Amino acid sequence: MRVANNSYTDAILSQINLLTARQYSLQNQASTGLRLQSVSDDPAAMQNTLNGLSRRTAQTQYASNIATLQNRASSVYSVMQSLQSLTSRAGEIATLAGNPTASPADLNNYASEMNQLISQATQLMNTKDAASGQYLFGGTNSTQTPYTSTKDANDVIAGVSYQGNSSVNQVEIAPGVTVSVDVPGENTTGVGVHGLITDSQSGADLFNHLLSLRNNLLSGDTAAITATDSVNLQKDENNQLYQISYNGATQTHLNNAATFAAGQSSALDQMISNSSSADLVQTMVQLNQAQTAYQAALQSSAKIMQLSILNFLP
Amino acid sequence: MLGLFGTLNLAARSLQTQMTGVEVSGQNLANVNTVGYSRQRVLIQTGPDVTTGIGPEGTGANAVAIRQLVNSLLNSQIQGQQSVGGYWNAQQGALQSAQANLNEFLNGTGSSSGTTGAADSTTSSGLSSQLSGLFSAFQSLAASPTSMTARQAVINQAQNLAATFNQVDSQLSTLGVSLNSSVSDDVGSANQLLSDIANLNSEISSAEFNGGAANDLVDAREQDLENLSHLTSIQTSTGTGNSVNVSIGGQTLVSGNQLQNWLQTYDAGNGRLLVEAANGGVPLTLTGGSIQGTIDARDGALATMQSSLNTLASSLITQVNTIHGGGFSLTGSSSANFFNGNSSGTITVNQSLADNPALIQTSGSATATGDNSVALALAQLASAAQAGLNNQTFGDAYTQTVAGFGDALQTANDQVTNQAVVANMLNIQRDSVSGVNIDEEMTNLMGFQRAYEASAQLVTTVDQMLQTVIAMKR
Repeated sequence: MRVANNSYTDAILSQINLLTARQYSLQNQASTGLRLQSVSDDPAAMQNTLNGLSRRTAQTQYASNIATLQNRASSVYSVMQSLQSLTSRAGEIATLAGNPTASPADLNNYASEMNQLISQATQLMNTKDAASGQYLFGGTNSTQTPYTSTKDANDVIAGVSYQGNSSVNQVEIAPGVTVSVDVPGENTTGVGVHGLITDSQSGADLFNHLLSLRNNLLSGDTAAITATDSVNLQKDENNQLYQISYNGATQTHLNNAATFAAGQSSALDQMISNSSSADLVQTMVQLNQAQTAYQAALQSSAKIMQLSILNFLP
Repeated sequence: MLGLFGTLNLAARSLQTQMTGVEVSGQNLANVNTVGYSRQRVLIQTGPDVTTGIGPEGTGANAVAIRQLVNSLLNSQIQGQQSVGGYWNAQQGALQSAQANLNEFLNGTGSSSGTTGAADSTTSSGLSSQLSGLFSAFQSLAASPTSMTARQAVINQAQNLAATFNQVDSQLSTLGVSLNSSVSDDVGSANQLLSDIANLNSEISSAEFNGGAANDLVDAREQDLENLSHLTSIQTSTGTGNSVNVSIGGQTLVSGNQLQNWLQTYDAGNGRLLVEAANGGVPLTLTGGSIQGTIDARDGALATMQSSLNTLASSLITQVNTIHGGGFSLTGSSSANFFNGNSSGTITVNQSLADNPALIQTSGSATATGDNSVALALAQLASAAQAGLNNQTFGDAYTQTVAGFGDALQTANDQVTNQAVVANMLNIQRDSVSGVNIDEEMTNLMGFQRAYEASAQLVTTVDQMLQTVIAMKR
């Protein structure tokens, strides 16, 4: 086949350009660690990678949500424990007051202690979440103090009223999966999350029961204490034990969700890497091959292009 | 017999003939690097015989013509390939610009494929990460609905997303305007080439009127035809006087040495320029060439992507506003939009919310500011299938748009590569016929040189013989 001079030089240029472009592409892969950077490199892989990155962002957010809920659940649990101890002490007082050997002076002392317990319970129920600064037990009315107390002329608590509601917030921890760690102070609707202090499903009504015990102690009505107050306080304690157990189960759920989320993140990292990352070993081998071919093309071109009939004419 | 003077005349003509051969070889050598040059050969024929007493006797050789060595079929194939190459190169250029405007690239140092345990640090730079960021911000807000920090983060992320939408739309629109300019420029170039071809037809006709071949003018015309083919596919036919008639889209534009019609652009009504024949205003359906490649890129992949982004932005605005509008802010206000606008070019965040994030309506209750039901619903939009997006989520609809565009660009890239291979192959084939080989021309040159020397020696010999004859009469 007849080869013109232009054919020869054009072919050399074309080959060198191809090899240069190949080296550039491989060097870019080696330095970035990425097999694809733009959508035209591999559209299907880019789509997978972008979807994976979106899911990874979402997964990171779910992990953050889980951490937030875990902290809040831990705070709620601490309050529940303290409240349960307080309720248990009130139950002890009711039992002691029902003892025929209890004197009026004893009953007065117990009543004073009950005032402290009521005040302490009010304080506990008005606890704020350290992270968000919102009240933990006001339901979704979390910017308003859940419990307020009224006092009589002797500066003694006469009543405690609830300012919150019975709703709770759900937070998403996985696609379509929501969890709530909130516990309203009061739920008299009969449905939904049990109220911690007042709950129509369990019959709990801690503040009223504590006030009733205190008033019966002051009036010396030990029969009412034994027949009514002790029974009511037991309902309150049972409700609190239920809440503590439910909180524990929720925390276990969150711990499991955190573990699962971490696993999902790792799996997504692997998927993204498989889609977009360059195999460095393979890339370096290919780069070496391209460099060798480039060198060979340059050397052979330089040698052959020096020769023509002009070199041999006298 | 020729006699001394006849032989002298024969030698003189032989000198001219060999000199013509030297000149043609010189012409070839001088144009070894001239683009579009077809090598020439002198056609030498023996002179007419004269009748002598001992039979016919030759009268030497004459250079009767200088012929180009061309393959018309290859030229025609190359013109066709130029059209295809021009089409895909134009597509590639336009779509590469659009890819840059879309700004959807992967960054970071990925972990080596197959390595387990190494965290991947790959991130993306465009709308995909902005969309994910917005829904993450809504999630954080749902977890802490009264937090001003979370509210401000939502505003920041939403503003980033809106700005990105605006920027991408603006740049794609600007690219569309640039492509219109490119079409206009190419039409102007095509018209200039058509005019040149008509002029060359006229010059060739004049030059060949008295015989011979206007080889260099034919080469120039062939180059113009190839350049025109790069702009748009053409149909050619041979006319009278070695002229070439040119048609585009079924319309005859050049007939002989007359430019009968030319191209012009027109607005089909949507701001996108198309091409028509100037005389008669007949819209032309172009096939191939950079003009049609630019038009197809503008009206095809680019328009589809812009439309998809507009649909995505519009759907996002509608869905977010619908949910947000039913909520209550920290101050108890309601019914405010979260986004303003209705497309990717006009989407903005409601300025009153940006100025006071407390007005973001996260609660489902007018009395419970800590309620997060609206914020949660906004966050859950991320995984909700949207009827307006073919039942895809926002993220999936966007990545599908990006992948579709990527397919178009990858196709253009592959076609450009393939067409370059085909072009190279055709050019090598053409050069094997028409290209100049220095070794070959030097060999021919040496042949003509030796023949010239031999003819000169013949002149010398006959001259000596004449002197001998003249010296006989003293």
